[in-house]
Amino acid sequence: MSASILQLLVNGIALGAAYALIALGFVLVINAIGAVNFAQGDLVMTGGFVAVILADWLIESEAWTTWGLGVLVLPLTMVAMAALGILFSLFAYVPLRNRPPVSVFISTIAFGMMLQHGANAAFGPDPRNGPPLIEAGMVSFGSVGVSLQQISVIVAATFLIGTTRVVLFQTQFGRQLRATAQDQEMAEAIGVDGFRSIGLTFALAVALAGAAGMLLSNQFFVTPTDGGVFMLKAYIAVTLGGWGRLDGATVAAILIGIFEVMVAAVVSYVVAEALLYATLLLVLLLRPSGFLAESIQRRT
Amino acid sequence: MTHPGQRGFLLTAVFLFAPPAIAFAAGDYERRVMTLAGIYALAVLGYQLVFGRIGALSLAQGCFFGLGAYTTGLLGIHFGWTFPASFLAAAIVPALLAFVVALPVLRLGSHYFALATLGISQVVLLVAVNWTDVTGGANGLYGIPEVSILDRSFSSSEAMLVLVWGTLAVAVTGVSAMLRGRASHRLSVLRDAPEAAASIGIDAAAHRLALFLASAALGGVAGALQAHSVGVVSPAVAEFHVMVTILAMTVVGGRGHPAGAILGAVLLVHLPEWFRFLEANYLIAHGAALLLAVILLPQGLAGLFQRWLGEKPHFKPHTDVSSDRNIPAVRRASDGLEINNVEKRFAGIVALDKVSLRISAGEIVGLIGPNGSGKTTVVNVISGLVAPDRGRLVLDKQEIGAMGPHLRARLGLGRSFQSPATTPTLTILESVLAATSSNHDNATAQRLAESCLAFVDLSGWGVEFSGTLPPAKARDLDLARLLAAEPSVVMLDEPAAGLTPTERARLANRLKNLAEAGLGILVIDHSMDFLLPLADRVICLASGVIVSEGRPEEVARHPAAIAAYFGEGRR
Repeated sequence: MSASILQLLVNGIALGAAYALIALGFVLVINAIGAVNFAQGDLVMTGGFVAVILADWLIESEAWTTWGLGVLVLPLTMVAMAALGILFSLFAYVPLRNRPPVSVFISTIAFGMMLQHGANAAFGPDPRNGPPLIEAGMVSFGSVGVSLQQISVIVAATFLIGTTRVVLFQTQFGRQLRATAQDQEMAEAIGVDGFRSIGLTFALAVALAGAAGMLLSNQFFVTPTDGGVFMLKAYIAVTLGGWGRLDGATVAAILIGIFEVMVAAVVSYVVAEALLYATLLLVLLLRPSGFLAESIQRRT
Repeated sequence: MTHPGQRGFLLTAVFLFAPPAIAFAAGDYERRVMTLAGIYALAVLGYQLVFGRIGALSLAQGCFFGLGAYTTGLLGIHFGWTFPASFLAAAIVPALLAFVVALPVLRLGSHYFALATLGISQVVLLVAVNWTDVTGGANGLYGIPEVSILDRSFSSSEAMLVLVWGTLAVAVTGVSAMLRGRASHRLSVLRDAPEAAASIGIDAAAHRLALFLASAALGGVAGALQAHSVGVVSPAVAEFHVMVTILAMTVVGGRGHPAGAILGAVLLVHLPEWFRFLEANYLIAHGAALLLAVILLPQGLAGLFQRWLGEKPHFKPHTDVSSDRNIPAVRRASDGLEINNVEKRFAGIVALDKVSLRISAGEIVGLIGPNGSGKTTVVNVISGLVAPDRGRLVLDKQEIGAMGPHLRARLGLGRSFQSPATTPTLTILESVLAATSSNHDNATAQRLAESCLAFVDLSGWGVEFSGTLPPAKARDLDLARLLAAEPSVVMLDEPAAGLTPTERARLANRLKNLAEAGLGILVIDHSMDFLLPLADRVICLASGVIVSEGRPEEVARHPAAIAAYFGEGRR
């Protein structure tokens, strides 16, 4: 395998792994409340800016050096974003919980719009550079060198996805979240605090979006208008992976990342985008339930 | 006291006239702002058709807006088309795109519909940005000619204001004419109870397509007027924030009434003027308005007028129908309904195996069987909701297997569902009117609906909203609506479930009366007590196979039927 193809593959997996974090948060909310979170992309963007601010502040206040900065900023960003997630659910979901899911579609669109233009007002339209997760460098596989940055992004995303899965599937807390997602009334009948479960699901989903925002902010910078693209990628991943399936969304997101990087390298980014949308429309036309079977039927 | 219809007209007229009149007097700047409001009101008026009437969250209206702007711009600049011609094209091109994507997109569920329409918008935006030779790329097109019609220039702010609001008035009139009376009721049934809609003969696909095309055309018209009024088209006209602005205006103003389109557009276009400190970030205010409106004003601002507008005329039943309890008109299918060797598998599991049955005119057939034996599947196959793998379906000598559910319903096949579908936005009378054939004039339809309501003892309830009915009355309404479609054969899926013994007896009595008038009736029920005195014949289904058929008392004693209900061991 030539060096460039390996590097491209690593780049693609790194991008896809970040997409997977976004898509995972997106599905968690879909399963919990049966509604699409249109603000997910703008929350990724917000996570990027939070990482930028935190890094600047840590350096300026001399509380930390550049050494290991990214490793510290990532969990801090996630904590801040989890808090934002609770706030988000209080505005965009709680007042609308007894209304049709489309109301929540709209409230999240509104919230996303406020985040986007709020970020524009606060930071301006210029791209900002977030902290790298680790210092730049190369790692060699035989004669082939691969960027250490990308490897670290893949490792961090894999760790977060794995931890999320362990939390969801191996802890009592995760069982409560999933029970609430499957049937809130039933879960409450057996003593689960559904309200709390949904709030914490939002916190987890937004923290994952924030982590993705931080991981992407160094290589791709962050601008206030970034959100729409991220939201679409997650939406497409969830559709291709089977509506409501965590595993399907994760795999589809990684494949989208690889596809995008490869096509962009061979042809152009615009063609990659166009092909992705074309694929999406084709899948909706031919196989509206995605490549894997839907885990939930007609939730919305 | 004015009639509610007149009030709605009055309100719309005030909203159409007052904003431009105020702006006309106010000055050049305000005229331009109000022109923009009128342009957005057109796009919102179209969006209401999809979001309000179909009840689907489309994210393509901004794309249709942009497409209209580019169409008129390109034709005007590159081909020298005059305004009237390029304006017309700006309505047609978006409608064509809508037509092309309608077939796959309109059948999608809400979350996929939103995504698909968003995907289409992204493709259009990519083309606008990247096809630089034609669209001018990110810079866009400059020098779009000013509007002139028959050598009359519309370059002044006064002229554009009049042109835009005049177009809006025409569009509002057209939309209101399209959505009057029963046509509007049918759309409400389609939105709130789609399966019930097909069972009373409403063609879902045709209605949705018409609304989607009209919405695209109105979006295109709005985009074209915008392009001519500012003289420039750039990819910004097709960006997502245009869509969100249109959505915000619809939610703020209200999605159910044309006045809402005007209210929402006028308000949101002026919002940046009132929040000047936000400067270029005025879209924060749009977002906040959208969030507040969706939380606090589920019906939008126009909903505040709803009680005034929505007050229904008092319902006066014709004395002759309520007094002698006439049986509503029933079509007589001399040959009844017959199905032959119907087979259906779901993912390899046999749901129906060589099921044959017939329902003759005037006959009541009971269909019994344990849970999961395939009773509802039989009804779903006959009514067209489920396609069988094999078998023939014939209604009154006519092969119906290839027809859609609504066509079968129009031929005289009616059905009810286990849980009656309600239409919360319609009164009981309107809900029944929606089922009457469009071949009837209004007076005939009204008489028919009233007689059906009288038959189920709902005469006095006509003005109530149908969502407020207690369960037993909701079932009565379901039956009345079914009868208003003038069926020859009806299939009732557990019509007696949850009824008290008195209500069951009343239902049995009504069904007997209907059968005497010539209606063929299939009744699914679990209780032999209910079916024994009622049915002429009973069919027992077990695991998708007919195990026993005959007079009710025979089937009740038949070993196979007993085995099916109580297990093999019991004798």
